[in-house]
Amino acid sequence: MIIHIDGKACVCEKGEYLLHVAAQNGIFIPRFCHHPGLPGQACCRVCLVEVETEAGGERQVVSSCVYPVEREMQVYTNSDKIKKQRRMVLSLLSARAPDSGRTAALLKSAGGSLPERFTRLAGEKCILCGLCAKACESVGTAAISVAGRGTDKKISTPFALPPDACIGCASCAAVCPTEVIAYVEDGGTRTIWGRSFQLKYCETCGDMLGTEEEVAHAANKAGGEPARLCPACRKKTIAGALGKPFARG
Amino acid sequence: MTRTIFVCCGTGCIANGSLAVADALRAALDETATAYGQGKAAATAGQAERREAAATAGIQVEALVKQTGCNGFCENGPIVKIMPDDISYYKVKPQDAAEIIDSLDKAPVERLLYKDRDGRSLRSQKENPFYAQQMKIVLRNIGEIDPAEIDDYLARGGYAALKKALAMQPAEIIAEVEKSGLRGRGGAGFPTGSKWRIAASYDDFPKYVVMNGDEGDPGAFMDRSILEGDPHCVLEGLAICALAVGAEQGFFYIRDEYGLALHQVQKAIADAGKAGILGNAIMGSEKKLHLEVVRGGGAFVCGESTALMASIEGRPGEPRAKYIRSVQRGLWDKPTVLNNVETLANIPFLILEGGAKFAEKGTANSKGTKVFALVGKVKRTGLIEVPMGVSLRHLIFDIGGGLLSDRPFKAVQTGGPSGGCIPAELLDLPVDFDTLTEKGAMMGSGGMIVMDDRDCMVEMARYYVNFLCGESCGKCTPCREGLRQLRNILTDITEGRGEPEDLQLMEEICDTMRDASLCALGKSAPNPVMTTLRYFREEYESHIRDKTCPAGHCPKLTAFRIDTDKCTGCGRCAGACPGGAISGAIKSPYRIDGSKCLACGVCRDLCRFEAAIAEKAGYEA
Repeated sequence: MIIHIDGKACVCEKGEYLLHVAAQNGIFIPRFCHHPGLPGQACCRVCLVEVETEAGGERQVVSSCVYPVEREMQVYTNSDKIKKQRRMVLSLLSARAPDSGRTAALLKSAGGSLPERFTRLAGEKCILCGLCAKACESVGTAAISVAGRGTDKKISTPFALPPDACIGCASCAAVCPTEVIAYVEDGGTRTIWGRSFQLKYCETCGDMLGTEEEVAHAANKAGGEPARLCPACRKKTIAGALGKPFARG
Repeated sequence: MTRTIFVCCGTGCIANGSLAVADALRAALDETATAYGQGKAAATAGQAERREAAATAGIQVEALVKQTGCNGFCENGPIVKIMPDDISYYKVKPQDAAEIIDSLDKAPVERLLYKDRDGRSLRSQKENPFYAQQMKIVLRNIGEIDPAEIDDYLARGGYAALKKALAMQPAEIIAEVEKSGLRGRGGAGFPTGSKWRIAASYDDFPKYVVMNGDEGDPGAFMDRSILEGDPHCVLEGLAICALAVGAEQGFFYIRDEYGLALHQVQKAIADAGKAGILGNAIMGSEKKLHLEVVRGGGAFVCGESTALMASIEGRPGEPRAKYIRSVQRGLWDKPTVLNNVETLANIPFLILEGGAKFAEKGTANSKGTKVFALVGKVKRTGLIEVPMGVSLRHLIFDIGGGLLSDRPFKAVQTGGPSGGCIPAELLDLPVDFDTLTEKGAMMGSGGMIVMDDRDCMVEMARYYVNFLCGESCGKCTPCREGLRQLRNILTDITEGRGEPEDLQLMEEICDTMRDASLCALGKSAPNPVMTTLRYFREEYESHIRDKTCPAGHCPKLTAFRIDTDKCTGCGRCAGACPGGAISGAIKSPYRIDGSKCLACGVCRDLCRFEAAIAEKAGYEA
């Protein structure tokens, strides 16, 4: 089916999410809480767009990351209303996380500025998008989660203690849009969420494979022995083994 | 004559000691029976056993004591009603029991009767203006039956509607509900029949039916009273819903704070199972239905449909985007019908009497009756049921008896944190789903808080915003961060730090919250702020520009003094002052020590001579 985004005809499948359709067609919709590898969360509300399912009908404000295309429609990613709402949402996020350069940058590019009157949470970088918790859940560990509710909501480990379930994979840090989750790698160990993990390296080239726990977790999920080589060296080894009979002949 | 003595044992009356009253009445009956030489047989614990024991002993039981659900007139509890004489006593104490029993064949106990405005004693609830102007459909059994006894419910025609529904095709049941025009009583007002029809249309099993009993609006207790007082009626409604949509599993989601409601529903499910009404063969038919109670975890947001379902599934109570509705993919991604307690309580009546008869009551687009919890500064507070479309004035002044101390009416807050404040000039509005929404408020689930000229509208808005700061799920930015900024600005205004640009900034925040929030809680969260800005803007301006609170409510902006000309020196205020700021000698004017005064306003509320006066802080006479 064909939908129109900002006037551009875009081919898409029924049920595809608007944000994805836009990206496929080179239309950028700003967002924070979306990661291509994880299900849409619809919580940062930066990716809002207006949709009009009947020509001249009422326009509805929706979050494009979770809005499935069910019929032909006009989509507006930059209407006056969307620009205004996006500026306010980004202002609210910038006040929440004044130490995050990305919220400030996005607010600036949206043509807004943080109202003086807004209370800033000093030193805060986290925008509570929840991607870290989602990633951790997807890895199959669920060592961190959102905790509490309302204005006191936060990302936390169980009882705010170093989490037993953590495997030190740092997926949480990798998906964080505001780079707030810190970890340190030093002398063969990685420290994250208050725990230290032994790092494992490729036996051939010495590239890092991840933490011992992470490699074991992956092997456990996939079935088989924990990896000893990095993907590149593993390929070389297999290719070498396959080539041997011919080399001899 | 065999009489039944009904003792109201709703939560309100229990708090006022009604269980002790019931015990005292039983003991008094027992004593009377002994005195008449009838032995103790007539006074054992269960009423059924008592009846039986009395019958086998050949004893004429003179009276039975029954514990009922909430009679609605909670502030006058404990309420005791004697039938068939139709005498109602209010504020009964255990020590009144002997006198009540003694009077059974004589004139009623005068001092326990309700007195009207002219001091006339009213014997029957039918004469009491609080009850006389109500129309009871949902509450028809409450106060008339013991909710813990399934036989009581059956004796009043209970489960006849389920029996009738079993003989109907699902499509016929749905058609009847659609014909009735019944709309969801939880607040949003979605047509119940349409919801059922959509859920029934999916060929995707298993399906689920769920009752939403996560009532959380401050001041609202309709659903609690229904569950406590007539659990079988709700159960019957849910069972009919399950038949209509083809579900075999249902859940009662009840907030954990509602201990008595949880207990009554659990007992009702067990009793209905034993009676063959639930289970693998509903009333002997081939239909199945299994019901289960799920206790809420104490989050207000879990009243939102998708958060409620997440909670039942054992996930954090956070809503999801509803572009695919729950009737298609709800609990465990299966078609799910979620109905409010009161909506379901309407179903048995609707099926028995027919949708057309139901639709005779109410207005063009809001059919039937609505239960309201009328609270705040009104003379007669309590639980009331009226046809849709009556005016706010009728509710507050005719049924509620007007404001306490006849002070001027200022506003009524409807619909809790999602609702708004309605000013005096809109008092003649008919109360239904659409009219109040048009005015920026919302009928909501039925909470109504009446406020007088001493209530500050800015503080009211701040209270609700603060409530939601703790009760929003915190998932989406506009709701969580918008509420945080609103709370800070509103707190500043009530404490004298408001700035002229604040009003416009708040309006912009509200606008974004309404448009951009993920769920209905966030979209409606700005309503208390928006309606007060719309109808009471000058009050905000006084706080910001003049640093005064016109209602004399905000402590940082208010000081109290005593008008020495009016003060009679009764000392009432001095005794109650929590700061110990009031001093003086009896029969001569008292004075307030400003350095100790907390500006709480207790003196003003207590003074019968208007001698305690609120003024702008810093003012020196």
